[in-house]
Amino acid sequence: MFGYIMRRVLLMIPTLILISMISFVTIQLPPGDYLTSYAATLRTQGESIQEEAIAQLRDRYGLGQPVYQQYIKWVTGIITKGDWGQSMEWQRPVGELIWERLGLTLVLSLVSLFVGWFIAIPIGVYSATHQYSIPDYVMSVISFIGVGVPGFLLALIVMYFAQTRLGLNVGGLFSEKYINAPWDWNKLVDMLRHFWIPMLILSVEGTAGGIRTTRANLLDELNKPYVELARAKGLTEQRMLWKYPVRVALNPFFSTVGWSLANLVSGATLISVVLSLQTTGPMQLRALTSQDMYLAGTFLFLLSALTVIGTLISDILLAWVDPRIRLEA
Amino acid sequence: MLAELVKAGKLPPVAQRLPKNPMVMVGYEGIGKYGGLWRRAFSGVSDKWGPTKLVDRFWAWFDKNLTLIPRLLESWSVSPDAKTWTLKLRQGVKWSDGVEHTTADWEWWYKYELQNKLISPGQNDVWMSPNKVLAKLEVVDKYTAKFTYEKPKPMLIYSNTRGGTGAQGNYGNPCCPSHYQKTIHVDTVADKAALEAEWKKAGAASWETWYINTAGCWHLNPARPVLGGWLCKKRMASELFEMERNPYFFAVDAQGNQLPYIDKVNHRLYETAEVRNLWATNGEIDMQARSMEIANIPLYKASEAKGDYKCVLAIAASHVAIQLNLSTKNKLLNEFFNIRNVRIAISHAVNRDNINQIIYNGMLKPRQYSPLPMSPQYYPKLSNAYIKYDPDTANKLLDEAGYAKKGADGIRFHKDGTTPISFIIEGTDQTGTPGEDQVLMIAKDLAKVGIKATYKYFERALYTQHYTANDIEAASWGGDRTVLPLVPEAIIFRGVQPDRPWCPGWGFWYREQAGNPNAVKPPDGHWIWNIWKIWDEEVAVEPDEAKRTAAFLKILDIWATELPNIGILGEQPYPTIVKNGFKGYVAGMPNDDTTGDEQFCQSETYYWDDPSKHMG
Repeated sequence: MFGYIMRRVLLMIPTLILISMISFVTIQLPPGDYLTSYAATLRTQGESIQEEAIAQLRDRYGLGQPVYQQYIKWVTGIITKGDWGQSMEWQRPVGELIWERLGLTLVLSLVSLFVGWFIAIPIGVYSATHQYSIPDYVMSVISFIGVGVPGFLLALIVMYFAQTRLGLNVGGLFSEKYINAPWDWNKLVDMLRHFWIPMLILSVEGTAGGIRTTRANLLDELNKPYVELARAKGLTEQRMLWKYPVRVALNPFFSTVGWSLANLVSGATLISVVLSLQTTGPMQLRALTSQDMYLAGTFLFLLSALTVIGTLISDILLAWVDPRIRLEA
Repeated sequence: MLAELVKAGKLPPVAQRLPKNPMVMVGYEGIGKYGGLWRRAFSGVSDKWGPTKLVDRFWAWFDKNLTLIPRLLESWSVSPDAKTWTLKLRQGVKWSDGVEHTTADWEWWYKYELQNKLISPGQNDVWMSPNKVLAKLEVVDKYTAKFTYEKPKPMLIYSNTRGGTGAQGNYGNPCCPSHYQKTIHVDTVADKAALEAEWKKAGAASWETWYINTAGCWHLNPARPVLGGWLCKKRMASELFEMERNPYFFAVDAQGNQLPYIDKVNHRLYETAEVRNLWATNGEIDMQARSMEIANIPLYKASEAKGDYKCVLAIAASHVAIQLNLSTKNKLLNEFFNIRNVRIAISHAVNRDNINQIIYNGMLKPRQYSPLPMSPQYYPKLSNAYIKYDPDTANKLLDEAGYAKKGADGIRFHKDGTTPISFIIEGTDQTGTPGEDQVLMIAKDLAKVGIKATYKYFERALYTQHYTANDIEAASWGGDRTVLPLVPEAIIFRGVQPDRPWCPGWGFWYREQAGNPNAVKPPDGHWIWNIWKIWDEEVAVEPDEAKRTAAFLKILDIWATELPNIGILGEQPYPTIVKNGFKGYVAGMPNDDTTGDEQFCQSETYYWDDPSKHMG
């Protein structure tokens, strides 16, 4: 097992190098660059910028250089100084920008993820063991709706009702007066009052999907001979259920850890955009559309790296929960 | 807010903070009250113009009648040949840190910024003669300076009605806080190693990049002293951008009270228009026009009571218009578009009232792209040219122009007799927007007279690529800058603003001649040469305001005859959210970039009738 992990870790190095190249080239693919999109944004806002000024800025940002030179400059900065480059829009170091938003992003994503699992697994198990009962039908209907309604639409609807019916202020995670205030008890309370909307919306999709997956997988497992055997050996129904088939049915939760990790950072981008949450998702989207290349490149690289690491973790976890996958002879 | 600071000895009394002869700013709703917070919304650093336009009214500003009144400058005069400008500063204007602003600042800027090749690799047109020679600066005394140009520069003062904040990122303004800049300029700082360590620490790629952001951009560096009414509390890089009153601001109201009235201005970051609209309708935006959409006027109006505000209408400078590319590479279309009667026929073929009623609830006015009625260059002959819905005349004109032959589908043929007349109208308006709906309606009207036009949405970068390469057949892109068209140098009327591509190829020719591979030389004797000639020889060099306007009307007359652009609707209302109790901004004002959008009435004179209710 140890040798296997080592091999995988070593393989990650060339993978990541390749990814960093592809990320960087991908960002350069669309026509234009940060400055053309900047000039275009200005024009739609009714502002004007002289072509000469754009040419000057282009030199200043080094945008006139060939792609490979820009790439080498970027990578050298990362390796030698841990410098991920400067965001063109925000005029600040990329590392600082992402780091600033990462904390809240992780809290929000993790809470929603676990809330989703926490609700989905017991309900899924119940639905599977009580197949075709009334509660099963009710749960199925609800979870189908949950899976079917796009998160951003749900966000819009919830936001509208929260504001018009409940009179809450929406958008963002804080009231205006606490945004720049230092952390204290009041700020925390204020955040918790805003927190439930994104948490609810983010966990709905995960919950609904989780219920369906758990139910379907568990139904497959329940008819297998090993379940019969466990029953025959006299295990109580509950103990048998949680010890064997549920563990196998949870397989998908673990095998998707690989994406979950990247999702923690960029997941639910659309929902966050709609809710104006100051998380990393909207920043990433904005960096991509405005061709803010170092920021966008760092995001792509970070997400890819997290996926690679996540895949490794999920493989290890799978081996742990599912004896059939273990590689030991 | 400031009285306490004075009491505590942290600030000199107001008499010492004001210049000897402060600017007297007359509010549109009288004398105001001090204090309060003004909440707004913005969409990120690229939207810095929202906050910037609160503070960038500069040397002079406009009164209600669009006449210039001195602001930062006490007075100015221009020589009869329009080559020499004598500018007089108010004595005792102070930067936000209390240091006096004098012509020494101008001198420093001229030497260390304007002529520094790292900071200003190319120069801004404002400081150059049309022949690209730099103006000469001569400092007469502490408060008087002269700019001398090789060629006439009659519009210099207009180029400085807004400015001084460096928000554009390209450097160049005489009003720079040289006492501060000196401490970070590589030529004037003693400890160069420490300076280098500083900009490297900030993550900048080079000294000049860092310098421009640090010394030039008011919104990125709270330490940089400013002259505007409010200053930046914390750099614009987070969810809330906070501004606070400048205790040294150089203007007073009619009773001698120092301005601005409002203490704090907050801009809150939004990611989608929906959230911004919810904030507005919930009363969480106090006063803002920027980014509010005409399509949402019913929504804003319906929520007035709940949000405790009024949706006040300003008049936007923009127009609904389509541009037929008169310099298109497509030979048949080029021939077609360049026939004057064809353009007139297309204009008559569009049912403007119908579009106005269906898409805009009748709120706009049928008109050609032309200066607004409030503009000194208003020219009704152009505004009303060929706007009548008259498909019969349109058909007749097209028949007479040699396009009488039609196919089975009713579409006319080009003169070659086999190719149907069909072109693509490009635009950046996405599906479901009023912008798309209006082009679809125009296309339907054109089909009725036998012309096939298809709307195609393009992502903005692609659209830009198409017009830059003169690869565009037609476009649906509104026209603005119609309040004071001369100030932005009438770039749309002259056809040199290629994103309104009625003749991008010709525009490139005007600017760069054969130097641009996409430039197309207009045919000899073409009316566009007249437009350019009138502009270059009669408008751009004329010191007298009335003569300048008269000359410009000659250009508008060519427009009224030739109709280069097909204007559809204009005088569009611009929704402006104004919280009840917020005073100083009145309805019916122009909303245009040149005139500072909703800051036209001088935001320093805006106030709360009960500031204690709006402390945030």
